[in-house]
Amino acid sequence: MRIIGQIALQRFAQIGRATIMWYTALNSMPRKSDLPLFITQMYSIGLKSLVLIVLSAFSIGAVLALQFYTQLVRFGAETTVGVGVAMVLLRELGPVVTALLFAGRAGSAITAEIGLMNATDQLSSMEMMGVDPLKRIVAPRLWAGFFCLPMLAIIFSAVGIWSSALVGVDWLGIESVGFWAGMLDNVEIWEDIGKGSVKAVVFGLIVSWIAVFQGYDSEPTSEGISSATTRTVIYSSIAVLTLDFFLTLVMYGDF
Amino acid sequence: MVEIDNLVYNRGDSVIFNGLSMVVPENRITAIMGPSGTGKTTLLRLIGGQLRADSGQIRVMGENVSKLSRAGWFELRKQMGLLFQSSALFTDLNVFENVAFALRVHTDLPEALIRNLVLMKLNAVGLRGARDLMPRQLSGGMARRVALARALAMDPVLIMYDEPFTGQDPIAMGVVVSLIQALNEALTITSLLVSHDISETLSISDNVYIISDGRVVASGSPEDLAANRSAKVGQFLQGLPDGPVPFHYPADDFINDILGATV
Repeated sequence: MRIIGQIALQRFAQIGRATIMWYTALNSMPRKSDLPLFITQMYSIGLKSLVLIVLSAFSIGAVLALQFYTQLVRFGAETTVGVGVAMVLLRELGPVVTALLFAGRAGSAITAEIGLMNATDQLSSMEMMGVDPLKRIVAPRLWAGFFCLPMLAIIFSAVGIWSSALVGVDWLGIESVGFWAGMLDNVEIWEDIGKGSVKAVVFGLIVSWIAVFQGYDSEPTSEGISSATTRTVIYSSIAVLTLDFFLTLVMYGDF
Repeated sequence: MVEIDNLVYNRGDSVIFNGLSMVVPENRITAIMGPSGTGKTTLLRLIGGQLRADSGQIRVMGENVSKLSRAGWFELRKQMGLLFQSSALFTDLNVFENVAFALRVHTDLPEALIRNLVLMKLNAVGLRGARDLMPRQLSGGMARRVALARALAMDPVLIMYDEPFTGQDPIAMGVVVSLIQALNEALTITSLLVSHDISETLSISDNVYIISDGRVVASGSPEDLAANRSAKVGQFLQGLPDGPVPFHYPADDFINDILGATV
């Protein structure tokens, strides 16, 4: 019972530290002088994730087109492949898969970087120079994740739709006008693109928060950094998939 | 400069400090010595506000640090420098940018002036020519000197050195010893030196505190300590392997331990 109590207290203390860190970091950006730090992180965690996002989106869009086509062609409804793929990508797969890939590519890198800075006393030395690492190190990464993930999710959906058109229209011979017109008629700005982007914004905040906190709170050993990096990917994945259910329930639920 | 009164600090179930008191006077070199594991580095982190005392009072530059807010701490630290045992250089910045870091963050000085200030600091530690090197290209001794230049960048009034001589070859050690002394005199700063390198530390210190078992067991000038007849002080200063400070970490009887495992 005592051990359970200790573990519970440790978890509550961890959540408390994470919340304080989040609040302090989010309160401290963006200022004009911090812009270079923010841009550096946008490049590091956003632009450098782009290749992975584009390749994954291309593959997923192509596979979705194939799957939709094989089912819909039996009913002569193959022109609705476009709208089906667009709905799935914009509402679900775009934000969710982007967030999962982002956690694996950028989240783990953020955790490892901050964890190593912690283990080599770089964060402590920054504190001793009167520079707050929450503002200098944590905040730019949090804000960059917040801005990058929605943009990456939109790019993911766009590339996925394009690759589905390549497969559906150019290869399988679906009528081009029907493919695109169905999509344009049925996809709504707020319902599909807007709500999908809201999901991406929430996932961006959560994944970045988990990544920076795990790095900041990691044990200053090689094993500690390794565990923290693993935790970032696991916690982020669980958080994204769980939150996706509740966000879908809240935003689309009319049951 | 620093006054510590009846400091108590525990880490988990371990008592690190149990009623420790000391005074670090201005413009002097004060050394804190003691066997490994007695909490010397912890004491620097308590003075620097990176750890919070369980009870007792620490006053730094007249401020009662237990009452300082987070923002207050960051303000106070602008007047402090800490040379870390690991040097703790920023690995993504070159030597010049490491030294310029605090100047860029805390001041709006023009680039030309920052350049001159950084080169002056680097020149003081003999590494002006290494300005473009990355930390991974530096030897341990050079990294320590760059870290010293960085700690001095904001012209602190208090500088703390955590084991500055550890892992240095004799030449580098001699350089660091003379640098600490020369900088203390030239810049009239207060230096707090944590070390267990006895001869080097005693050669430049004005005051020495020896701590053990969470308390100060002896203090005074190097001459006072040399005359101290306490068994603990004698063991430490003469480097004797066993004595009041045991060689072995507490354990069961050795024979019983060995036989118990084979029975």
